[in-house]
Amino acid sequence: MLRTTRLWTNRMPAVGRLFLRNNSSNALNKNKLPFLYSSEGPQAVRYTAQHEWIAVHQDKIAFVGITKYATDALGDATYVELPEVGTQIAQSESLGSIESVKSASEIYQPADGTVQEINTHLEENPGVVNEDPMGDGWLVKMKLDDNVNVEQVEGLMSLEQYEKTLVHDD
Amino acid sequence: MSVILRNFGLSPRYTGQRSLVCCTTLFHTSTKLRKDTDDKYHDINSMYENMFTPMYNHSPINRRESEDKANTSLEDDINDFNKDMHDIYNIGFSKETLSASQLKDIVKAKGRFVLQSLSTNPYYNLALENYMFTNTPKTKKGFDSCRLLFYINNKCAVIGKNQNLWQEVDLAQLKSKNFKLLRRFSGGGTVLHDLGNVNYSFLTSRDKFDTKFFNKKVIEWLNSSNPELKLELNDRGDIIQNGFKVSGSAYKIAGGKAYHHATMLLNSNLEQFSGLLEPSFPRDMEWESSGVHSVKSKIKNIGTINPGQFIGLVSENFQKSFKVDKNIPIYACDESITINDEIKDAMNSLRSDNWKYFSGPKFSIKLKDKNLKIQVVKGMVYECNKKKLIGLEFNDFLKNIDSYT
Repeated sequence: MLRTTRLWTNRMPAVGRLFLRNNSSNALNKNKLPFLYSSEGPQAVRYTAQHEWIAVHQDKIAFVGITKYATDALGDATYVELPEVGTQIAQSESLGSIESVKSASEIYQPADGTVQEINTHLEENPGVVNEDPMGDGWLVKMKLDDNVNVEQVEGLMSLEQYEKTLVHDD
Repeated sequence: MSVILRNFGLSPRYTGQRSLVCCTTLFHTSTKLRKDTDDKYHDINSMYENMFTPMYNHSPINRRESEDKANTSLEDDINDFNKDMHDIYNIGFSKETLSASQLKDIVKAKGRFVLQSLSTNPYYNLALENYMFTNTPKTKKGFDSCRLLFYINNKCAVIGKNQNLWQEVDLAQLKSKNFKLLRRFSGGGTVLHDLGNVNYSFLTSRDKFDTKFFNKKVIEWLNSSNPELKLELNDRGDIIQNGFKVSGSAYKIAGGKAYHHATMLLNSNLEQFSGLLEPSFPRDMEWESSGVHSVKSKIKNIGTINPGQFIGLVSENFQKSFKVDKNIPIYACDESITINDEIKDAMNSLRSDNWKYFSGPKFSIKLKDKNLKIQVVKGMVYECNKKKLIGLEFNDFLKNIDSYT
């Protein structure tokens, strides 16, 4: 399915880019917890090349999920596997996985931190990951390590940079 | 050699008694390897057969027979092996079984290749697949490392990563029929393997990954080798012949890469699979579980192709279709030689109870007659209206279910 989207954007680059922007999609949903957690909203929202997003608030609490682009590519989620609360997970270590249409897809930790809460709603309703990947479909809430500044973490991208990679991927 | 009973796949999540989703599995009597019925294909068929049955006697059927003759002396085996290796040298297929360091160099370098495992140990083969997948380099620009792995597993049931094994397999029957149980790293449903089933695993980049891409190729190649095969792809990505499933697929995506692996039933002992994926429970038992449930399918063997021929055909077509500039090499590997710590670690994980029994999705059961409600997390009774059961292994609970009244 990834391929379908890619082919399409490759063949029609101008339309493809427009499609990605308009559907947008990969921006954080401003009406849901990952955004509303603090009154001022997240300080930064960053993206990984593996299609995770991380929204970091002032108190170093961060929400992690996977992007709309990724969930569209994966198809209907049937099972979401999440880490145990309290687990310290280093950047790029496995954070869990999402199964969809017989594919087990690994999710990676965008920045060093400790799992504070998992989105237990997804256990019974994995489809929420598809319906609202940038909002209700958040996966993990974590406390970032003190020395982590997501704006300086290598490999993390702004929304604009991330969406560019979707069009010029190879 | 092997068979798939349930589709690699998942059904919508369901609640309630298992019998609701079970449909009768009919075993189509397998055509026992009609060899070379068509003279037209005789030469090419025997060529493949000779080419790709290096470690064993000359056909899978012989292989099975030779296993029965457990008293074959080691010396005979070595002579056979040497003879086969000689044949291999002569056709330039693979110079030798890869050493551990050769495997490492080849996997970690960029480039395409075909690898065939000569081991039939499912733990080794799944660990090898994982090693190849994890260590294939991912480049930022472009991906030139499409890889194809073949392996044949001795009798085993393989459940998907996110499955509830108690709902999928009958552990007692597996044991009595000498089938191993494995939980694999990829998604999807439960399948059965034996020596009549060939597993193929196609590795590519996440960006290029498409669940149906490789099976379309396999079907095209097989059908053009013998139009009478009439293989088709269904909408779940499985390969179908005359309405029966002959191949099931599952996928894994990680680290910017992806693999599609699949079974191919060629001359498996289908009768032997009967009942292995039909666990029985008390009539009043109700399940409530998330996770991935297998989709049952009627299965059959392709029958007119043996494993060696299949591997030969697919390898050769892969070499042609995926060639970029230089020829795609074909390598062989074996557990006794081609092994390293990373593969051993993965084998240990696959063998561990933690991975097999104490992982997977949580679930609940209800036994109305006994007024029992149990929640199971990671294979252990986590909550229960009868407090003394809390902390019990679910497996032990099931074994002694009658004593908990």
